[in-house]
Amino acid sequence: MLHMIEMVGVSKVYPGGCVALQDINVKIEKGEFVFLVGPTGAGKSTFIKLLFREELPTRGQIFFNGKNITRLRPNEVPYLRRRLGVVFQDFRLLPQKTVYENVAFAMEVVEASPRDIKKRVPRVIEMVGLSHKLNARPHELSGGEQQRVALARALVNNPDVIIADEPTGNLDPDTSWEIMKLLNEINKKGTTLIVATHAKELVDTMRKRVLQLENGRLVRDEERGVYRCEI
Amino acid sequence: MKFRTIRYFFKEAFANLLRNGWMSLASVGAVASALIIFGSFLMISINFDHVAKDVESQVEITAYLKDSVNQLEINQIEYQIKSITGVKEVTFISKEQALEEFKKQVGEELLEGIENPLPHSFRIKVESPQEVADVAYRIQGIAGVEEVKYGKGVVEKLFNITYWMRLLGLAIMAIFAVISVFIISNTIRITVFARRREINIMKYIGATDWFVRWPFLIEGMLLGFAGSLIAMTFLIIGYNYLYDTVKLNIPMISLLPIEEFYDYSLGLLAMGTFLGAFGSGFSIKRFLRV
Repeated sequence: MLHMIEMVGVSKVYPGGCVALQDINVKIEKGEFVFLVGPTGAGKSTFIKLLFREELPTRGQIFFNGKNITRLRPNEVPYLRRRLGVVFQDFRLLPQKTVYENVAFAMEVVEASPRDIKKRVPRVIEMVGLSHKLNARPHELSGGEQQRVALARALVNNPDVIIADEPTGNLDPDTSWEIMKLLNEINKKGTTLIVATHAKELVDTMRKRVLQLENGRLVRDEERGVYRCEI
Repeated sequence: MKFRTIRYFFKEAFANLLRNGWMSLASVGAVASALIIFGSFLMISINFDHVAKDVESQVEITAYLKDSVNQLEINQIEYQIKSITGVKEVTFISKEQALEEFKKQVGEELLEGIENPLPHSFRIKVESPQEVADVAYRIQGIAGVEEVKYGKGVVEKLFNITYWMRLLGLAIMAIFAVISVFIISNTIRITVFARRREINIMKYIGATDWFVRWPFLIEGMLLGFAGSLIAMTFLIIGYNYLYDTVKLNIPMISLLPIEEFYDYSLGLLAMGTFLGAFGSGFSIKRFLRV
């Protein structure tokens, strides 16, 4: 069976000997919503970096749709990344571009046709509820709104998977909730979601699959899990 | 590559130039000043070369013949000189011609009634100035030749000077070429650095390296082109002025005509453009590794 993402015996040791991940075996199916939890330094960021090939594992294999992404040539990496949408804690929007331009930019980069861009961008911005801010620049937006733009940008190329690294890390609880609800809606439309987070309440309320990392090891993989189960 | 992508690259490059207006201006200024300095030395160097060649080509050998030679022997000697490799042109100067020339120099009256003391001679031009000494030596060995003169010592000294002038010109040129590359790549590195965020985001979204690189390359080329265009204008105006001044005040030195300098300045333009592209490509490399 073809899994969306499969890690087999993955370890990552950074130069200098720091062990970030150790013998990770995990399968993520199409359409799943997965929380990646654990304290700072547990390996969440490395896990994500491995998925979109910012880093290569020291040992083990990573498969995306059945394709071994550890064996990709450098010029194949962009085409992997086009099937992954990435959202960061610090949003990473281009400050001099408007909301519309920021989202359209993601389509220009993959050389989409102007007609498709004109059709698709407003739809996606509407989906994240920012139609009234099309021409605003990032500094005129609140944190929550900026994260919505980042989400729209990640979504606009119809990725198979959306990977969010601490998407609510810079947001207040109410806004965090709205972003989570938005992520959930996106997931319901069929996109696989992987969300690394510290937000205990959110994880506990959403009751999704939880992968818990501790010192680079996968210590828990639970369906409908909570942030931490007391043993 | 799609046409609209190319259009996008140019649009981005121009937008970036305007967005970083002051930085762009500084880059153009840096390129222009580096190339003006470089071009000035190029100008001096090619003129050194030109003057040196001019002087060199004036060096000729005179072979004086023995008084006893008859017409047949003169023909034989001429034939022998012509058969030496490296000889370009041989002119016979008879006793009578030599006297005429001498009279012109010192005045008719002075030589009235004196028997012609001058020998027959040959004036020989050689293919390349470096062969003068060698050819002279071989002419000396021909029977019937009394004496060979070619400004021995003077010629060698002249060659020495022109050799070192050329070497110095080349060295200075090389140094300034390196300095130009350094300034350009450094200035463009600043603009690339200012946009490292953008590059980073593009790479995460799934842009190919070349997609990221092109706008910066075009930007660099435009900066280099603009800078060298300014430098070229300065140099041509300056050279015209210099050429006229030298022609008017020091008539015995003939500088390279301005038309020949145009070719060099076109080269300079191509070089500035290339340096711009090279500098930006060099600067962006580090930021693509994501």
